[in-house]
Amino acid sequence: MGNLVPTAAQQLTDTEAQLSKFRHTLRASDRYIFDGLFAMARRHIAAMSQSDALLPFESALLAIVLEQAKQIAVLQQKVEVLEARSIRGNQDRLAH
Amino acid sequence: METKTGWLIDLYEDPKGDVVLWLLTDHDERLCLHMELPVTFYAAGDFAILRQAWMYMKGKNVVLARTIGRDLFTGNRDVMSITAPNPVISITLFRELSNQFPELDYYNADIPLSLRFIAHTGIHLLGRCKLSIEASKATSFEPLTSPWKMAVASIPLRIMQLSLDEDPAYAPPKNLRIQSGRMNYIIPLNNPRLLLILLSAELRKLDPDLILTDYGDTWLFPKLTQWAADLNFEFNPNRDVSQTLQMKREDSYFAYGRVIYRGRQALLYGRWHIDSHNSMIVGESGLEGVFEQVRVTGLRAQDVARKSPGAGITAMQMLKALQTGVMVPFQKQQAGNSKTLAELIRADRGGLVYQPITGIHRNVAQIDFSSMYPAIMVNHNISPETTGKPNAPEGLIPQTLRPLLEKRLAMKKLLTELPPNDCRRKVLKERAAALKWLLVVCFGYLGYKNARFGKLESHEAVTADSRELLLLAKDIAEELGFSVLHMYVDSLFVQKDGLHAPKDFAPLLEAIQHQTGLQIALDGVYRWVAFLPSKRDPRTPVANRYFGVFQDGEIKVRGIAARTHNAPQFISDTQLGLLDILAQSEDPADKIPEAQAYLRKQLERLKQGKVPLQELVVSQTLSRDPTVYRVKSPTARAALQFVQMGRDVRPGMRMRFIYVRGDERVKAWGMPGDTYVDVEQYILLLKRAANEVLDIVHGENRLEPLPMDQALRSLCEPLLT
Repeated sequence: MGNLVPTAAQQLTDTEAQLSKFRHTLRASDRYIFDGLFAMARRHIAAMSQSDALLPFESALLAIVLEQAKQIAVLQQKVEVLEARSIRGNQDRLAH
Repeated sequence: METKTGWLIDLYEDPKGDVVLWLLTDHDERLCLHMELPVTFYAAGDFAILRQAWMYMKGKNVVLARTIGRDLFTGNRDVMSITAPNPVISITLFRELSNQFPELDYYNADIPLSLRFIAHTGIHLLGRCKLSIEASKATSFEPLTSPWKMAVASIPLRIMQLSLDEDPAYAPPKNLRIQSGRMNYIIPLNNPRLLLILLSAELRKLDPDLILTDYGDTWLFPKLTQWAADLNFEFNPNRDVSQTLQMKREDSYFAYGRVIYRGRQALLYGRWHIDSHNSMIVGESGLEGVFEQVRVTGLRAQDVARKSPGAGITAMQMLKALQTGVMVPFQKQQAGNSKTLAELIRADRGGLVYQPITGIHRNVAQIDFSSMYPAIMVNHNISPETTGKPNAPEGLIPQTLRPLLEKRLAMKKLLTELPPNDCRRKVLKERAAALKWLLVVCFGYLGYKNARFGKLESHEAVTADSRELLLLAKDIAEELGFSVLHMYVDSLFVQKDGLHAPKDFAPLLEAIQHQTGLQIALDGVYRWVAFLPSKRDPRTPVANRYFGVFQDGEIKVRGIAARTHNAPQFISDTQLGLLDILAQSEDPADKIPEAQAYLRKQLERLKQGKVPLQELVVSQTLSRDPTVYRVKSPTARAALQFVQMGRDVRPGMRMRFIYVRGDERVKAWGMPGDTYVDVEQYILLLKRAANEVLDIVHGENRLEPLPMDQALRSLCEPLLT
C-alpha cells in the first residue's frame, strides 16, 4: 500500500524541486554549498520523519542547523588544539 | 469397508459437484476417492431485502436458515444461511443471488474448496491421514499429522521432468528432454505426432504425480494442445482422464511498486504440473518450499506454485476464520477511519530508516530482529478487531500467524544448531524460506486495499510499534556505549571500540531482547563495511546501499550493480571480482593496486571481444506497453523488436538485449543477424560499476577509527555537564 502523506525524504525532494529556480539563480560555487545543505538535512531523515511538525521543512532546517553546530564544535575543538599548541610553542621559545 | 493411510495430494470438485480426493497410500497406490461436501454461505443486510432473497431462494435445492454470524469488524449480525448440497451448486446459486440482490453483504461465498475441506475434516493437503473407504467414497477422515510439526516424512512422489533446449521467448526450441529417475532421453520437436505418442506412453508408464517443466505453462503445454488438435490426436496429460487440461490466461498486475507479469497456466487434475519458470516460489525456495506452503496455507500445490505468498496468507486467514466461526466477507467492506490532518501525519508512516554514516567502518555488527513485523502483530495482538482495545482476546491475525512464526523461528534455531554439512540443511532452508515469504507479506495484507481482514489502523499500529522498538534498541545500544551506524526497519549496524568477536555482542542482544520482548539475532560481524553515499552527491548518505566482508570472508552487498538483476553478468561478475580482491585485506585500501590490475584485465577482455555475448545481455523489466513510450528507452526499443519478431510482449516481462552500434542502439536477444557490440557503452557500464566499489575505498586513506557522532559526544559531554 502507498502512504497518503509523502515520506520525509519525498517532502525534502519536493522542497528541493520547488527551490530549483532559487538554486539556478545562485553562483556555481554557492550552488555547491546549497546542495550541501540538503545533504546535511538528508542525514536526519529518520528524525524528520519522527517529528509531528505540520511544516516539515522546519525540521529540515533544524537538521541543517544541527549539522552546522556539529561542524562548529569540531572546528572549535581544532582551533583550541591549535591555539594550545601555538601558546605552548611561544612559551617554549620564550623559555629558550 | 476398508481403511487406508497415506498423504492427501490433491482435491477438487468434479462437474457433478462431488469432491474428488487423491490419496497416495503407504503402499504406493494413487487412489481416486469421492466425497459429498455441503457448502454454506451467508447473506446479510436490510431485512426487507433479505426476506425477498429468502423467497427467491425458497424451492431451490438449498437449506435456508436464519442465524447469527460473526463479522470480524462489526460483531454479530443476523444472517440468512444458504446451504447447498455441493460446491458446484453453491457457486451457481451465489452468482444468481448476488446478481439479483447486489445490495446484500455476502460471506463465505468464495472460499477455496481445499480450505472448506480442511475446516470440515482437519486433514491438511500433503498431510498424512487415515480414510475409511466404501465403494470409492471416503466416509470418515482422521488427520495423522499437523501442518505445524517440524518433522515431516518425505512424500514418495514420482516426478517427471520435461525441459526444452532453448528459452522459447528467444529461440524456437528443437528438442524436449524427458527425465525421471534413471530414465533420461531427448525427443526432437520436429515430429509432433511422434512426440505426442511417446509422451503419452511415458505418462501412462510412469504415472507421475508431478510434471515439472521448463516453460510448460507458457509454451510446452499450449503447443502440445495445439499439435494434438491439428493432428486430431487425443492427448490428455491428466491422471483424472475425465478432466481436460485447464488453461488459465496470462496477466500483468501492479504489486509492490512494480508491474509483474504472470504467464499462462496449464493446470492438471489428479497430478500436478509446475513450470519452474512461471513460479516465484520454486525459484525462491525449491519444491520443498512449495510443499511447505501447501501444508500450512491449505492451497493446492499447483496454486501455491503460481500464486503470490499473499494468496497463501489470505488462505490461512480464511481457514482460521472458518475454524473459529468468523464469517469471511466476499468483498472488503471496511475503509480506514477518518482522521484529522495531525493524526494522519502522526499515523501514516512506514518503518524507521536511520541514514548510515558513509565511509568504511571496521568491526561492525549487524543485528536483525527476527520476523519483526509478524512478531509485533503476534506479541502486541494487532488485528483489525483488536486495534485500540488493550485487553481484547487474541485476534484473528495473531491467531493465524502465531504457529507460522513459531515454526519458522524453530526452523531457524535448528539451522543454527545443525553442522554445516548436515544433509537436512538444504530441505530445512527451503522450507524456512517458504515460511519467510508468508511472514514477509502478512504485514502488507493488513493494509492492502483488497485484503478481506485488512484494516489501515492495524497496519499503522505495526509500523508505529516497529519504530518505537527500533528506537528503543538504539537507546539500549547507545547506553551500552555502542555507536549506531545505520538502522534499516528491523536491523541495526553497531560498533564499539575493542569489540569484534560475535560473543562480544551477546550482552547487547540479550538486553535488546529482554527490553523489547522480540527475538534479535546477530547476522554477523563485518571485518569492514562500506556505506555508500548517493551517486548524485557524495555528501548525501543513502540507506541500504553497502558492501562489506564478514569475519569468515563472506561478502554481503546491497543496492549495487552486483545485487540488482538488470546488470549484464559480465558487469556484476567483475564487480564481485573486485570485491573478492578487496575482501582479502583487513584494510581494503591495501588492495587497490591489485583491484585496478584486475579491472584493466577485464577492460582488455571487453575491448578485444573476448567476453561471450550472453554475458553482455542486459535484462530489464518492461513497465508498460512498448508502443506508449514517448521517449523510447532501450528496454522499449528491445520490446518493439520482439514485437516485430512476432513475440508476445506484455508489461512486467523481462526484456533481454545487447547494446549495439547503429541507430537502434540495442538488439533484442535472440534476434537473427550479426551483432556489433557497442563496446564504449559496456566500458561505461563497467567503469560505473567499478567506481561504485572503488571510489569509497580510494576516498578513505585510513579506516575511520571513531565515527563522527561518537567523537562529538566525548567532545560535547564536558560542556553539557
